[in-house]
Amino acid sequence: MSTHAPTPPPATVSGATRARAILVIEDDAPIRRALRNALGEVADRVLEAETGRVGVDLTATERPELVILDLGLPDMRGLDVCREIRSWSRVPIVVLSARYSDTEKVTLLNAGADDYVTKPFSTPEFVARVNAQLRRSHLPAENVAPVVEAYGLTIDLLRRRVLRGGTPLRLTPIEWEILRTLVSNAGRALTHQQIFDAVWGQAAGNPQQYLRVHITNLRRKIEANPARPDLIITDPGVGYRAELPEA
Amino acid sequence: MFLVATLVLHWDREHVNQAHVVLVYLLLVLGGSVSGGRTLGLTLTAAGLIVIDFYFQLPYDALTIDVAKPLDALVLVAFLTTAFVTTALLAEERARAREAERRAAEVDSLGKLGAEILSTASGEDTLAALAALIRNSLDVACCRIYGADPEPRLLVVSATDAKPGPLPAAPDAPSLAGFFRDPVPFENGTNAVMTSLRAHNRVVGLLHVSDVKPIALDDARRRFLDALAYYAALAIERLRLVGEADRAAALNILLASVSHDLRTPLTTIKALAQDGARHGETNALAIEEQADRLGRLVGDVLDLSRLQSGVLPVAPELNTAEDLVGAALRQTSALHNGRTVTTDLDLDAPALVGRFDFVQSLRVLTNLLENALRYSPSGAPVDLSVQRAAETLVIEVRDRGPGIPAGEHERIFEPFYRAPGAPPDVGRAGLGLAIARRLAELQRGSLEYVPRPGGGSIFRFSLPSPSL
Repeated sequence: MSTHAPTPPPATVSGATRARAILVIEDDAPIRRALRNALGEVADRVLEAETGRVGVDLTATERPELVILDLGLPDMRGLDVCREIRSWSRVPIVVLSARYSDTEKVTLLNAGADDYVTKPFSTPEFVARVNAQLRRSHLPAENVAPVVEAYGLTIDLLRRRVLRGGTPLRLTPIEWEILRTLVSNAGRALTHQQIFDAVWGQAAGNPQQYLRVHITNLRRKIEANPARPDLIITDPGVGYRAELPEA
Repeated sequence: MFLVATLVLHWDREHVNQAHVVLVYLLLVLGGSVSGGRTLGLTLTAAGLIVIDFYFQLPYDALTIDVAKPLDALVLVAFLTTAFVTTALLAEERARAREAERRAAEVDSLGKLGAEILSTASGEDTLAALAALIRNSLDVACCRIYGADPEPRLLVVSATDAKPGPLPAAPDAPSLAGFFRDPVPFENGTNAVMTSLRAHNRVVGLLHVSDVKPIALDDARRRFLDALAYYAALAIERLRLVGEADRAAALNILLASVSHDLRTPLTTIKALAQDGARHGETNALAIEEQADRLGRLVGDVLDLSRLQSGVLPVAPELNTAEDLVGAALRQTSALHNGRTVTTDLDLDAPALVGRFDFVQSLRVLTNLLENALRYSPSGAPVDLSVQRAAETLVIEVRDRGPGIPAGEHERIFEPFYRAPGAPPDVGRAGLGLAIARRLAELQRGSLEYVPRPGGGSIFRFSLPSPSL
């Protein structure tokens, strides 16, 4: 099933190009309508699917630029929809989840979803997240610019160093790896597991339990106010993400 | 056999020695004891004695003992003693072997029972198997097992038709209640024998066996019964625990389903209200606020329900207070309304590490911050500080609001408490602090109120911070 959005109001997104098509996989009709309204200013076409199976098919045939996936579909688990799509596509997937179901969110993110929005959601926040994912996906493949400027910091991924106002900051190897992982995936919610795997790999013992301590130490070194971080944001119960200022 | 031997020996009486005769008959007694038991052995002993005296001792064919021949008498006495002792020893040995076999069979069945209790077979099946086993091994007509959850009731019965005759009646309800309260008399030798089933120092059940004739249990049987009774107690406990787990799982499923059903329309209302706000509808903002309020209330009621049923899981891990504070400030940023929230964390000291559940502690802290921001007069800052002392992280949220009247300091943590004089649509239905305190306690922490010098409130949220 697909439908056209009504003539959208002028684009309010600063500088971003509108997406050609976004797919919404959601079985509840009123929520589908609300999502359609919200996405009207972000995409030319909003495609809709009521079941997981139709959603996977539409992803294959219509090639949307982003997929909104609700969990709690009648025919398939959200996890299976995500896995199927991921097995042949890198299209950004934003998951709609219920509150206090952190395990669900973590499972989906570990399976390849890029971000999540908790129901009931605030429309502006939802639109902002969708836009962030669209921006990320528009960058060339293996996307990251080698030098990232944000919040007074210069993060040089090529030369592996961070500077504030021209002065290099001293990070431990683990702190650097964490920063690099987050910034290379800027805008994307990374689970604790994904950060462990990227930084510690198959390390023996249990060093991963100190991840939060490392994050805290890293914030102290690079954030202007470590207790109110700008760059390294906590996703409670899920993990962390790097949020770059809107270009 | 005996007759054949007698005939042979008698026929050659002149040539055989008394020794030969006696030894042959001893062999016969031995054989008889082994194959026929004590009775046959004793019979053969007596027969042998008579035959030896009659046929093989002078004077022949007379049952006499010649006093002048003490050796003959010695032969008879020796034969009698040897045969008798041999028979007795053999009989005892046989009895012991039988007993050992029976014991081995009991141990075997106990072992199987233990495995069954631990296996995934249903608790009811295990109890039924136990009752049947007790009935069979004690050879009684009926075995009943009672449990109490919480009222005494019959769990399983195992009975047989093979024993005709009247059976004693089962205990009636008042007697049953008595047997669970007071010690049960063990009336060995009556038609109905009962014993309490105990596990973990509690009476969890009652075993009642009855038969058409009096039941007499020797010590070995008694011990076996005690072992079976213990297994029965464990099986009953297992039944109870599985029932509790099932109920908790069912409750969780119910709460999740209610939660979803209540939240779905709220999501729609909120999204449509936001849509309306974008199109300039004047009431849209108010609708959205009320939808938010309703959503929070739904969440709180469900959480309180979970907390009170003990099904809300808490997973403490290594976390830092800074991380918690940052996330809480971010989540409450919409409420700041220009007021400042000052943060006082010693950033030169090593990271303020604690062992807590991040998500649940975040709920507590955002709740405290929201309250502080709501009750603070505009212009007055809210102060948040974190310190570590004596293996505890202490997070304090201070405001310059009206504070809590003396005497209400503990009542504010009761569910549905509303501060006297507070306007009815400020804040939630008074659930926040009740939930917050319970969440703090679940993480082995605490939440307290302390009046602020100079006016206002201090909420002190403590979490464990073990030394690494």
